[in-house]
Amino acid sequence: MKVEATAYGDRKVFSVSAFNRGIATWLQRLPTVWVEGEVTELKRHPRWQSVFFTLKDPADGACLGVSMPRGQFDGLRLDLADGDRVHAYGRPELYAARGEFRLRALSLERFGLGDHLAALERLKRKLASEGLFSPERKRALPLWPRKVGLVTGNDAAAKRDVLTGIQTRFPPAHVVVAETYVQGPRAAGAVVESLRRLCEVPELDVVVVARGGGSFEDLLPFSDERLVRAIATCPVPVVSAVGHEQDTPLCDLAADVRASTPTAAARLVVPDLSELHERLERARGGLGRGARRSLELKTTRLAQAHERLQRAPALLLERRRAGLEQAAGRLRALSPKATLNRGYAIVRARETIVRSVADAETGTHIDVEVSDGRFGARVE
Amino acid sequence: MSSEQTFESAQRELEQIVQRLESGETGLDEAIALWERGEELYRFCLGKLDSAHGKIEELATRVEAAKP
Repeated sequence: MKVEATAYGDRKVFSVSAFNRGIATWLQRLPTVWVEGEVTELKRHPRWQSVFFTLKDPADGACLGVSMPRGQFDGLRLDLADGDRVHAYGRPELYAARGEFRLRALSLERFGLGDHLAALERLKRKLASEGLFSPERKRALPLWPRKVGLVTGNDAAAKRDVLTGIQTRFPPAHVVVAETYVQGPRAAGAVVESLRRLCEVPELDVVVVARGGGSFEDLLPFSDERLVRAIATCPVPVVSAVGHEQDTPLCDLAADVRASTPTAAARLVVPDLSELHERLERARGGLGRGARRSLELKTTRLAQAHERLQRAPALLLERRRAGLEQAAGRLRALSPKATLNRGYAIVRARETIVRSVADAETGTHIDVEVSDGRFGARVE
Repeated sequence: MSSEQTFESAQRELEQIVQRLESGETGLDEAIALWERGEELYRFCLGKLDSAHGKIEELATRVEAAKP
């Protein structure tokens, strides 16, 4: 369709109507698409040809006007209420009479709880396949964090539970609190930003993300892909304490540890001061006992050695005596006394034993020893 | 005691010393040295527990305070 312009000298000028019609015609070339948003400001009048409503983006509040033929809308019997999530199938159009841009919907589908769950399930499978939830990624929590980060809403309960829990269990704890939105369209982005800023705090060793219980929709930001990824890649370990025991937002799966309640999270991130004292005193007791035992063991060994040392001289004497008696026995066995008893005699001349006739010249004085004594004689 | 020593590492070392002493396999001089080291670690840990003061700070305040 040709859009007529009026010429003023070398300036081409369109009327409003012509401009709008031109844009409207151009927009008709765009394809038909699905758009997701929350229904607000629904206007339906029996005399109107169309129903009108606004689709709102839950993430950032961006708005899009929608019109839909009334007959088609009524035929769907959707019974929509403000805030219901829908998928609208249509194409962009410009309402030329008023220059209003909107989506001309041809069809509308309620995006219900089941669809939310299905979308969550798809996201969960995708992140799981990337290994974001795998046990190998889980980091151990520090025993004594220098600083504890806490991301929480300003809604008191969860924040108070974590802080009270930490301070009761471990009074010396140093906590850095980042208050942020934990509900609504801005929550996911706000929590991601809080995490990032907390991690810039020097000496921060662990982060707790805490939010009290809420409806399924309330907790949806904690299954937001950006938030789940931010938790998985956080430089320090993260404890997730979101919702109640039965809720499992995806951030719970990406966190290093999941706590069932904010109070449980407090127990996880700081040690029990009285337990630390007890353990320290136990170690010291063991230290004294160990040192004494070491000493006693050495004393016992020394005493044993001393006793053996004392017994040593008597033992030596005993051995010597036994050796002497054995020698005496052998000596007695070799003595000539027994031979003399049998009637032999030992003859000596000048103290030398006479073994040959040549040793006994006539007239020599000799000594004769018999079994019971000696007597002198002269050789003839 | 080095300044980088943390409570955790001191406590771990103390408990290892206790184990070694309790095994009774150390020489006398070593046992005495271990005991002295253990006492030193014990005093360090106790000092850490007694000296730490708790603190709660709000991140927003901190960030604003850091601005020039």
